[in-house]
Amino acid sequence: MTRRRLLLASLAAGVVVAGALIAALALDGGGGTKTPAAAPAGASRVAALLDGIPQHGTALGSPDAPVTLVEFADPQCPYCAQWAETSLPTIVRRYVRTGKVRIVFGGMAFVGADSDTALRTALAAAAQSRFWNVIDLLYANQGVENTGWVTDSLLRSIGSGIPGLDTQRMLDERSSSAVEQALAQATSLARRAGVNQTPSFAVGRTGGPLQLVQLTTLEPSGLTPTLDAALGA
Amino acid sequence: MGDRRLRAAILVLSALGAAIAAYLTVTHVAHVRVACATGGCETVQTSRYAELAGVPVAALGLAAYLVLGASAVLGSDLARAAGLTAALAGLGFAGYLLYVQAAVLDAYCQWCLASDALLLLLVPVTLLRVVRADPPGG
Repeated sequence: MTRRRLLLASLAAGVVVAGALIAALALDGGGGTKTPAAAPAGASRVAALLDGIPQHGTALGSPDAPVTLVEFADPQCPYCAQWAETSLPTIVRRYVRTGKVRIVFGGMAFVGADSDTALRTALAAAAQSRFWNVIDLLYANQGVENTGWVTDSLLRSIGSGIPGLDTQRMLDERSSSAVEQALAQATSLARRAGVNQTPSFAVGRTGGPLQLVQLTTLEPSGLTPTLDAALGA
Repeated sequence: MGDRRLRAAILVLSALGAAIAAYLTVTHVAHVRVACATGGCETVQTSRYAELAGVPVAALGLAAYLVLGASAVLGSDLARAAGLTAALAGLGFAGYLLYVQAAVLDAYCQWCLASDALLLLLVPVTLLRVVRADPPGG
C-alpha cells in the first residue's frame, strides 16, 4: 500500500472507531457502578465517635445510664448542626461512652419538607440501631434550609458511610408504621416539654422528670454543669 | 526524525498511558478509591460513562495503549497504520469523555486528563511515522 493510501486508511479507521465508541457510550443506558459516589463528609469521624455505643431507637448510650439528656432538634436547624459539631463529641466521650448519660433525640420537623425526609430516614435507620449515625452525618452535610438538599442521592451517600447499615432497607422503611409512630411520639414529646426553639435540651434522672435547660452557649459548658449536677444528685 | 526515535517516543508514551489505564481499570473493577488531586475521580469512575457495555472504559484505553506499544515494536506498514488508528480513535473518544466531564459530570479525573495529554502527543508522532516511513534500506 502506498504511504498516502496507508495514511488515509488510518485516518478513516481512526475516525470510524472513535465515532463508533462515542455513539455506543452516548447511547449506552446503564454502565455506572451501582455503588454511590464518595462517602459523605465526616463519615470516618462519626463512625469512630459512635462505634461500640449501644443505640436503641433514638437513644444513644447505655439504657442503665443514670441521667438522660434529651435534645430537641430539627435536622435542618443550623445551630443544631453547630452543636453537633462543637459539643456532641465531648458529651459523647465524657458522659455517654462512660455510661453516665444517655442522649435521646427529640426529633422535630418544623423547618420544612427536607426536615421531614431527613427525620423519617433517620428513624428508619433506628430499626438498625443507626439513628444517631444518620442524624450526625446529616448535620455534617447539612444544606441550606428548604432547598431540597435531602436528596435520595445524599441519603444513599450517607448510608454508604455507615458501617453495618443496609441503606436500601433504611430507604424502603421510611414510610413504615414504626416510623409514623416514632414521628408522632417525637412531636408530642416536644409539645409536652414546651419546646419552642431548637436546639433545646432537657435533663433529668433516667425514668424521672425532665427539666428544660436554659442554653447560654453551644459549647459543651452549656450543658456540663447541669449534667454534673444531675449525676451528683 | 528517524523511525527509531519515533518508535521510542511511542513506546514511552504508550507505556505511561498503559500504566494509567491499568490503574484505572483495576481500581474500577475492585471498587477501590482512586488517588485524586482534582477531586472528581470518584464521580467520574462511578458515572455511567465509566463503562461501555459492561467493559470498563479504562480497559478500552488499556487496549489502545497496548496496540500502540505493539505498533512501536513492529516495523511494518500495518503496524504504523494501526498505531495511528489507535491514537486517533483514542484521542477522539477521549475528547468526547473530556466533554462529558466538563459539560455533564462537572467533575474531572486527573488520570483521564493525563491520558488525554499522552494521546495528544501520540497522534502527531504516529502520524509522522506513517507519513515518513523509512525509505528502503533505512
